[in-house]
Amino acid sequence: MNIEYSLTVGLSAMEGRGFYYPSDTAIGRDGRFYVVNRSLESVDRGVRVTMCDIQSEYYGIFGSYGEADGQFVWASCAALDSAGRVYITDERLGRVSVFDPDGAFARKWGTKGNGTGELDGPSGIAIDADDAVYVSDTYNNRVQKFTDGGDHLLTFGQGDLDLPWGVTVAPSGDVYVADWGNDRIARFSPTGQLVGAYGKPGRGDGQLTRPASVAVDEDGWMYVADWGNERVQVLDPDGGFVMKTRGEATLSKWAENFLRINVEEADARSRANLEPKIDLFDPDDPHEESSHVEKLFWSPMSVKLDDEGRLYVTESNRHRIQIFQKTA
Amino acid sequence: MSDHDTKLIAHLMRRAGFGATRGEIEAYAAKGYDATVEELLDPPDARWMGDYLARRFHHEQSGMMGPWGSGDNWLYRMITTNAPLHEKITLFWHGIFATGYPKVIHGKMLSDQIRMFRRYGLGSFRTLLVELAKDPAMIVWLDNYDNHKGAINENFGRELLELFSMGVGSYSEDDIKECSRAFTGWTIGNAEYMTLRSERDSDWPYGRISWHFDYRADDHDGGEKEFLGRRGRFDGEDIVDIICEQESTARFIARHVYHFFVADEPPVPAWPYTPPRDPAAVETLAQAYFDSGYNVKAMLRVLFTSDFFKAENVRYEKVKSPAEFVAGILRLTGEFDRPRREIMDRARQMVYMGQHLNNPPSVEGWRQGAEWLDTGTLVERINFASEQVGDLNKPGVKNMVQNIASSNGSQLSPERIVNLCLEQLGEVSVSDSARGILVEFAERGDRSPEGIAAMLRLTASTDEFQRA
Repeated sequence: MNIEYSLTVGLSAMEGRGFYYPSDTAIGRDGRFYVVNRSLESVDRGVRVTMCDIQSEYYGIFGSYGEADGQFVWASCAALDSAGRVYITDERLGRVSVFDPDGAFARKWGTKGNGTGELDGPSGIAIDADDAVYVSDTYNNRVQKFTDGGDHLLTFGQGDLDLPWGVTVAPSGDVYVADWGNDRIARFSPTGQLVGAYGKPGRGDGQLTRPASVAVDEDGWMYVADWGNERVQVLDPDGGFVMKTRGEATLSKWAENFLRINVEEADARSRANLEPKIDLFDPDDPHEESSHVEKLFWSPMSVKLDDEGRLYVTESNRHRIQIFQKTA
Repeated sequence: MSDHDTKLIAHLMRRAGFGATRGEIEAYAAKGYDATVEELLDPPDARWMGDYLARRFHHEQSGMMGPWGSGDNWLYRMITTNAPLHEKITLFWHGIFATGYPKVIHGKMLSDQIRMFRRYGLGSFRTLLVELAKDPAMIVWLDNYDNHKGAINENFGRELLELFSMGVGSYSEDDIKECSRAFTGWTIGNAEYMTLRSERDSDWPYGRISWHFDYRADDHDGGEKEFLGRRGRFDGEDIVDIICEQESTARFIARHVYHFFVADEPPVPAWPYTPPRDPAAVETLAQAYFDSGYNVKAMLRVLFTSDFFKAENVRYEKVKSPAEFVAGILRLTGEFDRPRREIMDRARQMVYMGQHLNNPPSVEGWRQGAEWLDTGTLVERINFASEQVGDLNKPGVKNMVQNIASSNGSQLSPERIVNLCLEQLGEVSVSDSARGILVEFAERGDRSPEGIAAMLRLTASTDEFQRA
């Protein structure tokens, strides 16, 4: 099993076409991306969902900053149901907002709190084949399962999870959780029993530091956004190390367009060494290295797989998605 | 433990930290004053909320593209650290080596400079100056990337001598030129592209790219120079060596240290014409500078254990900077037990009080002391303190109220409840007239949690609470 880099989609932009601190991407069956933009917190610009596709075709945005219906404060993660509706969590408002495939607001649900069915800092979200919705209830250190209308079905993970983030339902039906504070991937049965835990804290092969997201393919291979290590790792179904990548972004179509128009910047860029060899202030800190070398992952918060075996890695600090292809 | 002990510890914590809760003061007092000083200087297990938590929830504190993320992140550190002197010394150097966003246009580089102060700020002053000269934000802030062999730019060389080490009157214009020659070729990598991006505030295509120091031997003037009466083929490090040997440097840094940690001095531009408030103290600190081989921690050890620091007549002789004031209150209220969006609001309120971290008014930094206070900023400060310490939803406030109420709260005499409020807010001492007003308010007799919170609000509005 391997993954090979294909291309990059994205551009730093606070409005319209582009992304600003994207935290997650949901991939529709028609190939449409729904990219959740957390943006800055200090201004009300930039918070939105960008719709585009792998060809960098731009379809518009929806959502904005605020607390009204269809708005977000701390937009976090996204998932799609069988009808293509988009479910987006908001860590600040403690709710899930639902939009139709074109971005029209449909409904919202979720109540802030720590009781059964209540949410405190909902982040990761996944939807199974029956349209049941799983939400990482981050500060309650658990995952909760709801109907698509927000009725509570199941709670699990208490005592096992520490500030969980990304969650996914594997083709097998098991639920995999990026157990962020425990530096591991936790695997639960459909009824909420902990049936596996993969990874140990660290920076070595197969080790994890604050994982943000996990995707699982039909054979049980795991693709992990190893966020604190600024990399993606592939693990076998038993958690064994397979491969890792620090990223190799190239210019997206939108980036090329920007540089075509801004000739002076393009010229200066062409004379710059974008992969400098430097003495890092903290040699063991990949966050530091990623801040200096543009092609590397910087804050990879989300990994998603599509039906074509493509892996989408959303990088918050670089405002882009690096896309890889699974190869045998 | 005696009242004297706790009051002295409280004084130390206001100066070497951001104040302390009553519980912390008691714990430090039990260890003893000298042991507390050592723990502040060499914390055995320095911790704060941590970058992972801050970055997970505040994405701009990770990418740091704009003017706020770096300061917000630093405020978290001030609030949650168990090693407060590290943050205080960092704040100290930020005030002297003041570097600001409007020209750098890169929050991460400003944050990296602060990180450098945190790492080297208590060590050798020589090392700190060398690191400062290599600091990418400083190189852009004072144009050293434009300081070339045969075409010097004097900005960094001038400020290195005037503001960063020796002070006005200790060198000549020729020294500035020779100093600048020695720092030619000290630049950042990809200077053309990076400074163009800054000029345009460009974060395209993929966000900011961190800068790194780059020494360009081909652009360095390796010729002979004459600097402060010495002659040689000096480079930047040689210049720093000579600067560090100067009596004027020792006195200048000693006076800054006294100004920040002991008692407010007049603004720095007045120093050449105004003697120090306590010349003997400054001489003592200058001697510690030389005795220790320019070691800042050694200077502070002498300072904190000296009689001039412990003296009653320097207590409350410093107006807290907005950063000290806000961080101190937020440590008391315990609001930030986890990342919360409110951190931005708190940091903005600091700006309304006159201090935007990583965005000083000029290369001279902020003027300290009474200049922090005008009618506008004072109202901001009192409103902030009153609002925060009177909010019973905050865990720290709840604790303080509970501690007061558990001392037989319903039966408390007005004098007793005033004393307890002063204790809970960090063993604050107030004037007789302020005490009289507080007692008068306490005589109204409301001993409910809301009533006690109202007493805390009024106590936090006193003049002494504005001071350290």
